Amino acid sequence: MITERRNLIRTLLGGGFVASLAAFLYPVIRFMNPPSVSEASVNEVPGGKIQDLKPNSGKIVKFGNRPVLLVRVSETEWRAFSAVCTHLNCTVQYQEQRRQIWCACHNGFYDLNGNVVSGPPPKALDEYVARVRGDEVVISRRA
Amino acid sequence: MIRRPALLLLFLLPVAAPAKDSCVECHTAMESAPALKFSKDVHQRRGFSCADCHGGDRNADDQDAAMSKAKGFRGKIARAAVPQLCAHCHSDANLMHKYMPQQRVDQYELYQTSVHGKRIASGDGAVANCVDCHSVHDIREVKDPQSPVHPLRLPETCARCHADAAHMAKYKIPTNQFEEYRKSVHWAALAQRGDLSAPSCASCHGNHGATPPQVSSVAAVCGNCHALVEDLYSKSPHQPAFAAMGAAGCVTCHGNHGVRLPSSAMLAGDKSVCAQCHTADSPEGKAAVEMAGMINGLNAALKNSDQVLRQAASSGMEVSEAMLRQQEAHATLVKARVAVHAFRVTAVSQLAQSGLAAAAETRRAGENALKERDYRRMGLGVALLAILATMAGLWLALRAIERPPQAPAGAGRR
Repeated sequence: MITERRNLIRTLLGGGFVASLAAFLYPVIRFMNPPSVSEASVNEVPGGKIQDLKPNSGKIVKFGNRPVLLVRVSETEWRAFSAVCTHLNCTVQYQEQRRQIWCACHNGFYDLNGNVVSGPPPKALDEYVARVRGDEVVISRRA
Repeated sequence: MIRRPALLLLFLLPVAAPAKDSCVECHTAMESAPALKFSKDVHQRRGFSCADCHGGDRNADDQDAAMSKAKGFRGKIARAAVPQLCAHCHSDANLMHKYMPQQRVDQYELYQTSVHGKRIASGDGAVANCVDCHSVHDIREVKDPQSPVHPLRLPETCARCHADAAHMAKYKIPTNQFEEYRKSVHWAALAQRGDLSAPSCASCHGNHGATPPQVSSVAAVCGNCHALVEDLYSKSPHQPAFAAMGAAGCVTCHGNHGVRLPSSAMLAGDKSVCAQCHTADSPEGKAAVEMAGMINGLNAALKNSDQVLRQAASSGMEVSEAMLRQQEAHATLVKARVAVHAFRVTAVSQLAQSGLAAAAETRRAGENALKERDYRRMGLGVALLAILATMAGLWLALRAIERPPQAPAGAGRR
């Protein structure tokens, strides 16, 4: 009777030890060999204080590891687009004089809806949502 | 429930019946191909009938009356008469406004200036007229992917004549344009990536006013899309030199229909296009090699830092700032490739230096992230060993407790 109880306790202890070891080693192995991560899943980023960007100007904002162009069209109107040119992935910028988005690499132009105006870009820029929240602009992905 | 007077009114309402078209009725019954195809034609959908082009009376049931010369029946339209017939409606702004308000009405005018239009006017009926490109009896809108002039199908439509050696023999022009075009970077963009804005035949030659770009206008044609390159080229020493030689700008180095993806191999090496005019030991030849070296160096540096950054990112390290910077460095490479068209070493070297500095910076960021990863891994390894040693010690201690106490030596002897 005593021997049986001792065997049972030994089995439980041994099993518990092996299970603990596995539970301990699994995250270690996963840490050493993590899955490939393509892009940080960011859904919203702050675009800065309202007063920091004057009307008819733009700036590049980091959205995960992608650049986004935030444009203050007027006192109250804000727009945001992917800052990656659809031609050869150069970073675009806002041109105040023409009130258009410009890619310096091949002189491609986009309008303030992200549509191609001229140059080699094959398609429009992806649009993001720019909203004013308090005294800050917030950029988020389109639903 | 509908009351009786109201029910009566329903019967009195005129019913909108489709317009009668005896041509389609009879010719469909005869299984005539044009009539069978006509149901897919944009003109049929807009209410036009065979009689609008061929004349006759669509309302007459009698064959002779329907195809009466007195009613303007023309029968089969002569090839040379097709453009004028189409222009009867398509050059009428008031009429076109009712159906397609945004469509241009100068197609016939342009056609008359084209090589096709001039030849047809001089009595050559074998050249392309409207129906050769737009089809006949099943004409679709250009935006319809089944239309032969839809951007994805246009090159094949032009090639039906222009790749036919027998058909083109009397015009003494090459027939390899389509074959070449299918090897080009433009075809890859159009057909493989489905980029409908990629240039096809009509983008450079025009459509209704189709004419080959002249030597002096080639750069302007390419500059429609490659505006910055055209600007650099027009200010470069090559522009006046090519003009004096009668060489056609961009085409001299890049070719025309078979434009390949440009690379630094065009500047130096076995496939150098510069070597066609400049010897390797001339200042220009040396400049080309120098520019190629800068671009290759920047390209290699960027690939190197790309690899380090990818490795760091896949190890779970935060390198998004460096990746953003790396994107700017890649843009510098693109700009350096464009700057080659200024044909000045300094124009390329400024960009190459800036790109190399950015690539070195991002590589350092990636390497630091990898060092940090290794440091964390080492810490984890040390902690793991300590925990394993503790567990082993506990296990040994448990075993020692469980072992039955040994009887002292000589205890059984009395």
